[in-house]
Amino acid sequence: MSTLLDIQDLRLSFKGLRGITDVLHGISLSIAAGERVALVGESGSGKSVIARIVLGLLQETRSARVSGKVGFDGAEINTMRPRDRAKLRGTEMSMIFQDPTSSLNPTFTIGNQFAEVMRRRDPKLSRAACDARAIEMLTEVSIPNPDRILENYPFQLSGGMNQRVMIAMALVNHPKLLLADEPGTALDVSVQAQTLRLMHDLVEKHGTAVLFISHNLGVVREFADRVYVIYRGNIVEEGPTASVFHNPGHAYTRALMDAVPRITGAGLPEVPEVSDAFLAPMVRHDRGAA
Amino acid sequence: MSLLTVDNLSKSFSVAGGMVHAVRDISFAVERGECLAVVGESGSGKTTLANMLLGILSPTSGSIRFDGTELPAKRRASHRRAIQFVQQNPLSSLNAKRSIGASVRLGLDTYQIGERAQRWAKVEDALEEVGLPREMRHRAPSALSGGQRQRVGIARALACDPELVVLDEPTSALDVLVQARVLRLLNDLRTRKKLTYIFITHDLAVVRNVADRVAVFKSGQLVELGETAQIFTAPKHPYTRSLIGAVPVVDDAELDLRNRLAKGT
Repeated sequence: MSTLLDIQDLRLSFKGLRGITDVLHGISLSIAAGERVALVGESGSGKSVIARIVLGLLQETRSARVSGKVGFDGAEINTMRPRDRAKLRGTEMSMIFQDPTSSLNPTFTIGNQFAEVMRRRDPKLSRAACDARAIEMLTEVSIPNPDRILENYPFQLSGGMNQRVMIAMALVNHPKLLLADEPGTALDVSVQAQTLRLMHDLVEKHGTAVLFISHNLGVVREFADRVYVIYRGNIVEEGPTASVFHNPGHAYTRALMDAVPRITGAGLPEVPEVSDAFLAPMVRHDRGAA
Repeated sequence: MSLLTVDNLSKSFSVAGGMVHAVRDISFAVERGECLAVVGESGSGKTTLANMLLGILSPTSGSIRFDGTELPAKRRASHRRAIQFVQQNPLSSLNAKRSIGASVRLGLDTYQIGERAQRWAKVEDALEEVGLPREMRHRAPSALSGGQRQRVGIARALACDPELVVLDEPTSALDVLVQARVLRLLNDLRTRKKLTYIFITHDLAVVRNVADRVAVFKSGQLVELGETAQIFTAPKHPYTRSLIGAVPVVDDAELDLRNRLAKGT
């Protein structure tokens, strides 16, 4: 498998009123074409900024300093011209956000928003062609009466429906990489489970690589082939999902796993306070081990 | 005698185009010292029920009895003090313009608890009880982390010396490590202060480990009520089974159990 996303020694700091804050301390992460990779960590660990760097958004923020290598499909995102980076967004890579209802534009119909996305790849596309393709995508995410949905505004649909619309929209241009930041966290568990299964099948069918950002270990276990665990701007553990879950090697990963309440009812775990062991060097699992 | 008895409770709202029946004909009782979990999806009526218990909404029909007396639509201060509330989002539930201490003290002043001169000490005791430093009463909510804010929310409720605490998704906004600590704290406080909890949540894995009994809500109706151990070994209602079937799990023992329960065998 060829490497699609290749991040090497990525560092990020923000310049603020109280001097410079380091956020990422040399992150290396790679995703092969068609691979589903999860990035797990607590809030503030730096997981969402990685997605924003891959999209090329933080490089354009004046207070942010980004260094290191972000290779995408043979090109280097960090040194690219802003115009070229903008061209990649929505075409070669796309993003799904946590709350679907607030990330769709409330003033345009679903059909309008689909057309806008599709014309990023092909500006000359007719509205009829856009609608036809949108209906095809909406059918793939099991939305009933897709032709009617195109006339609707986001607020007329339920959260679960909007999430499916977002997934369809993110995949309509056949991106090579999908960035999913806590998808479905705002939804009910059963709706979340459904949409994740749907997204899983869809990216598998289209061969889309996914960077799946989440704090929910259970969801990650079901979705990803490989896992990175991030703690305070450092990757602390990396490996195939089964291997990391069966045999967590890093103190922080173990603490995370222990802290998750189980439906088998082992009681509430004693959670260690933040310890120096959490800052121990990264643990890497061999490929194919489980 | 049960601490709380709810009989044939209903609440309807009239909206454009008809009526919404948010809670329909619900009856259950909560025993002193137990933790009853209320689970269900959004829109199932969990929060409407909580608001009726707290006296924020008045029921359309039915009755709520607390400690043997029926609660009127307009609550007396003693009842408001005895039934306290811990909210989901600790940032938006604390007044940003007030110090932590002032927020915690508000209940003490409202219900005239203790001597005026001793109230700041009581506030600091309450903070200490939830594992926060006493001097934190001078800080603003914005200076605290999410876990600390939720502890303040708990301290605020407990400072009023309640008998029943209604917790609405108290840990859903927190990271797993923080969540685990706050859940332990809630458990310890319940035993230590002999509290009764109504724990509203959508997270069944949390429910399994904190609740004595579980009430499952669907579209405003109570579809299953039982001991936690029984719900997680032999759920009876298909909806309960489907809820358990959707729980994201992290280990193989859980996966086995979940798949077995979801299938209903």
